[in-house]
Amino acid sequence: MIFSKTTATLLIIGTSAFTIITSSFNSTTENNYNVLPLKKEQQTDLQKSIANGKEVYADFCMQCHQATGKGSGSSFPPLDGSDWIKNKRAESIRAVKYGQKGAILVNGKKFNSMMPAMGLSDEEIADVMNYVMNSWSNKQTKIVTVSEVALSKK
Amino acid sequence: MKNTIFALFTLVSLGCTSQVKLNDIPLIDAPVNYTLETVVDGIPIPWGMTFLPDNSFLVTEKSGILYHVTNGKKTEVKNVPEVYNRGQGGLLDIVLHPDYTKNGWIYISYASTEGEGTGGNTKIIRAKLENESLTSIEAIYKCGPNTTKGQHFGSRIVFDNAGYLFFSAGERGAHFVNPQDITRDNGKIYRLNADGSIPKDNPFVGVANAKEAIYTYGNRNPQGMTKNPVTGAIWEHEHGPQGGDEINIVKKGANYGWPVVTYGIDYDNTIISTIQQKEGIQDPEYYWAPSIAPSGMAFISSAIYPKWKGNLLVGSLKFQYVEMLTFTGDKITGRQKIATNVGRLRNIMQGPDGYIYLGVEGKGILKIIPN
Repeated sequence: MIFSKTTATLLIIGTSAFTIITSSFNSTTENNYNVLPLKKEQQTDLQKSIANGKEVYADFCMQCHQATGKGSGSSFPPLDGSDWIKNKRAESIRAVKYGQKGAILVNGKKFNSMMPAMGLSDEEIADVMNYVMNSWSNKQTKIVTVSEVALSKK
Repeated sequence: MKNTIFALFTLVSLGCTSQVKLNDIPLIDAPVNYTLETVVDGIPIPWGMTFLPDNSFLVTEKSGILYHVTNGKKTEVKNVPEVYNRGQGGLLDIVLHPDYTKNGWIYISYASTEGEGTGGNTKIIRAKLENESLTSIEAIYKCGPNTTKGQHFGSRIVFDNAGYLFFSAGERGAHFVNPQDITRDNGKIYRLNADGSIPKDNPFVGVANAKEAIYTYGNRNPQGMTKNPVTGAIWEHEHGPQGGDEINIVKKGANYGWPVVTYGIDYDNTIISTIQQKEGIQDPEYYWAPSIAPSGMAFISSAIYPKWKGNLLVGSLKFQYVEMLTFTGDKITGRQKIATNVGRLRNIMQGPDGYIYLGVEGKGILKIIPN
């Protein structure tokens, strides 16, 4: 048995309570339609892109780089606190767009695996880059734009 | 109140991050009394492979290239259908019909954009190879609807001794929608006649709205499937989420449980199911926790490896080695590691010459030669 009964019960209680709160919050905003559009306008392009990028990350990146962005073992480099992502913006975009092969040094550690291109659109690449560059301990507020991705060549 | 709930969530998440199978069979290093020889290189993701009667072979490269390899030289086969090369989708498995010398049929699985919805889904075709080009292409099956999700296309193809075609299709990232619903494709293993028609004794024939090609359900993402040369049964393995990769024997109408039961937890550490067993759900023959990310599967029946004969090989994408499982009777009782650190293992097969061939990402095809 991997999980204890208490843990499972806590989760059920937690999930139900969370669901109740979320649904009551949703119904409030739906009734007061002034709130929602205003909130959307206030969301910056970067925030919108990060929110979209979170879904791309969950679909295409999380299995190897983990939900924590810590990576795994000697095959999958970390994204959280990665000096590669911080200092090699163009290379990072290129790696996501065309794949990455060959040895790279991330935070002083050598990684020599292969990441295939995921077949993402330029917009999805910009979104997932913005998510990664602004998640965990990362904070790079200069937005990656779709045109920046489009200009990235192999 | 919100803080309390957040604290509860954190507590639950922390409690789940360690996911290790208790009392597991220890994984030991097999003696390295073999060498690995590169047969062909420069193939980024050698997904599937099959030998032709003249001992040349065909290799699928995930992005959509089909190579015909003769004496280590690659030729690109023409007229390969356009593939949906996204996430785990692309050009996948390839096998010959058991009577290939008579009928010339080659079966291929790939991710295709044809049919309903944006995105892609698993498709099976058959074709002939003439003058380094695919000809006489016929559609055998197309899973639907399409989706832009990047996950879980499967797909392996195997023929059994009776000539039925089995293929796997993963659940396409919709685990609460597809695998337990026999009226929907995906999260299934299918059985068809070689021409794509549905055998009359398939388990869900006549069930209202059922996809009658389905043979088993509750599968997550099988990327290894092979025939047991001794019993003739079809074996498969499938990826679990972080943990709970499984080895199963394919049984008519069986439910393998995803996501009702699982030995794994989701990538963000949320719990998918708190139970691992349930009545009416088939237990796996073996499971891994944490995941090794299995791809490729082959039994060794060849006399070239006398000490390995009867063992089962499974590739590990994640830990980059080949796991050799040994049996006592029909029960898995031993685990050995071979080809340590060779690279991401995508495919394994025993060739008609009796040698074991490995498809390794970033490299190509390697051959295990005993000393």
